[in-house]
Amino acid sequence: MLASFPWRRDATGRATETVGMAAQATLERLGDTPSSADYLRALWGRRQFAIAIAVGEVRSQHMNTALGNVWLVLNPLLQMGVYYLVFGVIIGTDRGVDNFLAFLAVGVFLFHYTQRSIMAGAKSLLKNQGLIRSIQFPRAVLPLATVLAHGLSFLPAAAVMIGIALATGESLHWTWLLLVALFAVQTVFNIGMAFITARMTDRFPDMQNVLPFVFRLLFYMSGVLFLATRYVSAETLVWFQLNPVYAMISTGRGIILEGTLNGVLWLSAGGWAIFALVTGFFVFRAGERDYGRG
Amino acid sequence: MADTRQVVADQQPALDPALTLVAQDAHVTYRVYEDRRAGLRELVSSRGKLRAARAIRAVKGVSFEARAGEVIGVIGANGSGKSTLLQAMAGLLPCTDGAIYARSQPVILGVGAALQPLLSGRRNVELGLLALGASQEQVEEQFDEVVEFSGLEDSIDLPLRTYSSGMKARLHFAIATSIQPDILLIDEALAVGDADFRERSEERIRTLQAHAGTVFIVSHRLSEIQRTCTRVLWLCAGELAADGTPDEVLAQYREWVGRPRNRPPRQQRQQRRRWRRRRQRHRERRLARRQQRRLRRQAGR
Repeated sequence: MLASFPWRRDATGRATETVGMAAQATLERLGDTPSSADYLRALWGRRQFAIAIAVGEVRSQHMNTALGNVWLVLNPLLQMGVYYLVFGVIIGTDRGVDNFLAFLAVGVFLFHYTQRSIMAGAKSLLKNQGLIRSIQFPRAVLPLATVLAHGLSFLPAAAVMIGIALATGESLHWTWLLLVALFAVQTVFNIGMAFITARMTDRFPDMQNVLPFVFRLLFYMSGVLFLATRYVSAETLVWFQLNPVYAMISTGRGIILEGTLNGVLWLSAGGWAIFALVTGFFVFRAGERDYGRG
Repeated sequence: MADTRQVVADQQPALDPALTLVAQDAHVTYRVYEDRRAGLRELVSSRGKLRAARAIRAVKGVSFEARAGEVIGVIGANGSGKSTLLQAMAGLLPCTDGAIYARSQPVILGVGAALQPLLSGRRNVELGLLALGASQEQVEEQFDEVVEFSGLEDSIDLPLRTYSSGMKARLHFAIATSIQPDILLIDEALAVGDADFRERSEERIRTLQAHAGTVFIVSHRLSEIQRTCTRVLWLCAGELAADGTPDEVLAQYREWVGRPRNRPPRQQRQQRRRWRRRRQRHRERRLARRQQRRLRRQAGR
């Protein structure tokens, strides 16, 4: 009986070749990455899946705690308290700023939104390896959903931020509506960067150890704790302005603290966001075949 | 076996609309990192990767055609490449050589990975259906039916982590089959659940079959394969050992399992040679020890 095993792989060669010609005409080949347009279409088809993942993540995030989602508000408040105590009261990096509390709130919250989105987005493929290995869907859903989840949990923090600004004497102005546009720009930037870092982290999990340092550096290079125009020379300030995170934070501060709009900073932020999204999409799609195989 | 298949393939028209899935000399090789550091020579040849990697050839040149209305059982010993083949059929692991073609995206019964243990069964049904590509409207349409089929009406609002493994398996099966996939791939899923649920799931597989779909079932329970399948593929060490009716293939498989060493002939010969050498070594050592004892005893006198 063992003699009848087709141990050699060409045992059925001819037969399958004739079938193969037919197969290619009627059937689709599995495991190929679709074209960019088809990929975008498939991604759009799974938008509700992405939203469901994001909502589920936010829901289950604090489920094991007694206070539950109160932490979404409490967490940013406590954070503010710590930063204000250390940098406002003890060290005093508040030179050149009238309303340091609101200044700090905008800087810290906007920065953390980007940091958390990108760090979690980077891990999203590794974290969902089981999902990748059992269901076929455009993998871009995963970093996208992760950023959306952080976008959702940022909203309470944004409310706290606006609350602090109002409580410390800022007054509402029509330009505050532009905060919505800023949120959109920042989210687009985060999604693009999450695409790029997700692919890098999937290929080299070691990236997870590098990213915290990148963000540490970015934290200081974005003037989260101090007014960059006051502490930094004019030549160095150009580099700050080219930094997308600095551009976004400063735009937010301009809107809330001064009611002014800086065209250069909007341009820098918007340009970076679009660049990140487009590059990120193509970089991510190019690796589609290999995700979850590490 | 190969001869009969060739005849069948030659007879069929060039464009067979009933073909649902065709594997054409499919090979799947993947790399795994070993739990040891790479040696110096490997380090040089692998461009500086620090961990040793090994290529595993899990599927080696498998070819077959599946048609609408077939329920195909896939059997084979542990590690024979059944699950890997299923993954390749779902398009999750690309073939390294050859190809697999399908009429529509096959659905593998693995929605479990999409579910979140902290959320309620209700939210997880939604999540699972969306993961399989359903739209929000379809989710609302299918929801009650899924819950009813899984028989979890009473615990649908409890978090998923409180479910027993049988309950989870029932939920997974109910979700995956509710969207009526054209090609369904099941990996060892029918074995779980109680007798009643098993009966209902077998019935549902028959419904899928009647709707001109194709179902693949990987299982070690031969009686189940015999009952549900119309055709059986037997994988052995990544190659297709047999392909035919359940009666034929299961008889061959049972005979083969009954053999003393379940290895293909070449490996079997190598194994025997290795064992013969080992037995010889043991005999020599035993003789040597006996000799030593005798010498010691003589020295003691």
